Amino acid sequence: MSRSREDTTVARELRAARAPDEAVTEERAWEIVRSAYAARPAPARRRLRPRLAIVPAVALIVGVLALTPAGATVHRWIEQTLGVRHARSELFSLPAPGRILVSGPGGAWTVASDGSRRRLGPWSQATWSSHGVYVAVASGNELRALDGRGVVRWSIARPDVRAPRWFAPDGYRIAYLSRDALRVVAGDGTGDHLLAARVAPVAPAWEPGHPYVVAYAGSREAVVVRDADTGHVAWARSGRDRVRLLQWSADGSRLLALDRHSATVYDATGRIVARIPAPADARDAALSPDGRTLALLAAGGVELIPLPDRALPDRALPAGAVRPRQLFSGQGLRQLAWSPDGHWLLVSWPAANQWVFLRATGRPRLLAVSRIAQQFSAGRGRAAFPTLDGWCCTAGGGA
Amino acid sequence: MAQELVGELPLTGRPTVRRRSEASLIRGAQAGSEADLGELFHRHWRRAYRTAFLIVHDHAAAEDIAQEAFVAAIRSLDRFDRRRPLGPWLGRIVANRAIDWTRSRTARREVDREPPELAGPVEEPAGGLDYSDVVVEALAGLTPEHRAVVVMRYVLEYTPGEIARALRLPRGTVNSRLRRALDTLDKRLAEVDLR
Repeated sequence: MSRSREDTTVARELRAARAPDEAVTEERAWEIVRSAYAARPAPARRRLRPRLAIVPAVALIVGVLALTPAGATVHRWIEQTLGVRHARSELFSLPAPGRILVSGPGGAWTVASDGSRRRLGPWSQATWSSHGVYVAVASGNELRALDGRGVVRWSIARPDVRAPRWFAPDGYRIAYLSRDALRVVAGDGTGDHLLAARVAPVAPAWEPGHPYVVAYAGSREAVVVRDADTGHVAWARSGRDRVRLLQWSADGSRLLALDRHSATVYDATGRIVARIPAPADARDAALSPDGRTLALLAAGGVELIPLPDRALPDRALPAGAVRPRQLFSGQGLRQLAWSPDGHWLLVSWPAANQWVFLRATGRPRLLAVSRIAQQFSAGRGRAAFPTLDGWCCTAGGGA
Repeated sequence: MAQELVGELPLTGRPTVRRRSEASLIRGAQAGSEADLGELFHRHWRRAYRTAFLIVHDHAAAEDIAQEAFVAAIRSLDRFDRRRPLGPWLGRIVANRAIDWTRSRTARREVDREPPELAGPVEEPAGGLDYSDVVVEALAGLTPEHRAVVVMRYVLEYTPGEIARALRLPRGTVNSRLRRALDTLDKRLAEVDLR
């Protein structure tokens, strides 16, 4: 065959080529491109907005101080020294059903309800699968799925993988960050695709029971709730500040967005249920599994805040409506996790090298465990306090 | 050639009243018109996606690559010289990213069985491949560099000189890659008696 004839054949065949699902991909890609277009850097004049936001933020902080008098404390432990006295030296058992996942310099570990610990490997940023059968970990430029023994089931290479989150209840999707993009991959490691470019460095949050709807923090202080397969945006809300944390309640009824000045709770349609002023040093927050109580952790303590039953028309809690209950006080607290049954809160306390379990319902109880860094050490080098990655699993799945 | 890329693939069912120039659409998009951006996107998406697909032979990766090329274009939109056509610029980004992706593909799948929780529904493309599987399979047998040259030559319809500039290669290298690629394709297509 002559070169010219071959050229003609190849050219003709390639020009007639059609890639799979062109129309579907076009529709999907357009949503992403349009989002990226909408998220282009604003003109310089818009930079005045954060400054203008200082005034209401100060008002909110004053408000929260006014709304949280010392007399509002119902159950309160104050630790004058660093750490709970008489803490157990070993984690013999968990006070509630479920299993805990931690990760850090000592690797990723699971803790069963009987206190037994299993090291999965040298992984960080771990997340439970919906039923706690598997764990996804971010490891540099790789996302990996491990079984309960730490065996790698699959992995996929993407740049700078962070914050994987597994959809509940069926586990068919994992959302994760790669550089500044949000990506989604099926639970068996296939079908990896970009969902949103230029997102904030905040772990995405799947809406439990709504396949496959995920919340993420977009640019320009926006909370976006979106179908991960079609790219359809269910709703999006602008906030006053950069979102630092997103979390759905386990029943999928409410979404928490924490920023530097407030904790905003949305219902599933994006209406604000409550916007609660948060102290500037608020480090973590968590909705109870039923979405009715917000636990808020600042450097000095943990508060429980009952939430309204439904969204408020004026989008803000009226004065006096916030009645926080201070549950625990201590300096240097870091993270919170609700037990799957919603009765206990686990508070991590690196400064004291302790975990503190607090009963949040019924008669108050406190259980503390010390030497946490040593218990989750790989056995070589200096022990380091681990990150709390979840207490698995609620009835709806998810940690 | 470059200008021929523009709007070669009109979408069916999309009303076309009057075809605006690409420069006008770029100007509109730079000024904040989402509709103009949409028109540009729809004019160029399919070719960008096809180009990526024919180089990487993975439709999910191709979709990502084409998407990222458009997102990169948006990031540079304000600085883009609207006297220049968008297509060749996008094609260059897509081709280079596709080559990079193919070179660095290290995804490893170690699933030895699929328990229910991990068994994500693997959705095959609904439309299937409605083009010559033989040619595409033959193309897949080439190295990424050779594949890219062939795709740029026959899908994007770049001249060897344009390919050389886009890939930052000597023109002689482009010519030799084209020649070798066509030799390989020649052998493979002869085996299946395509003609």
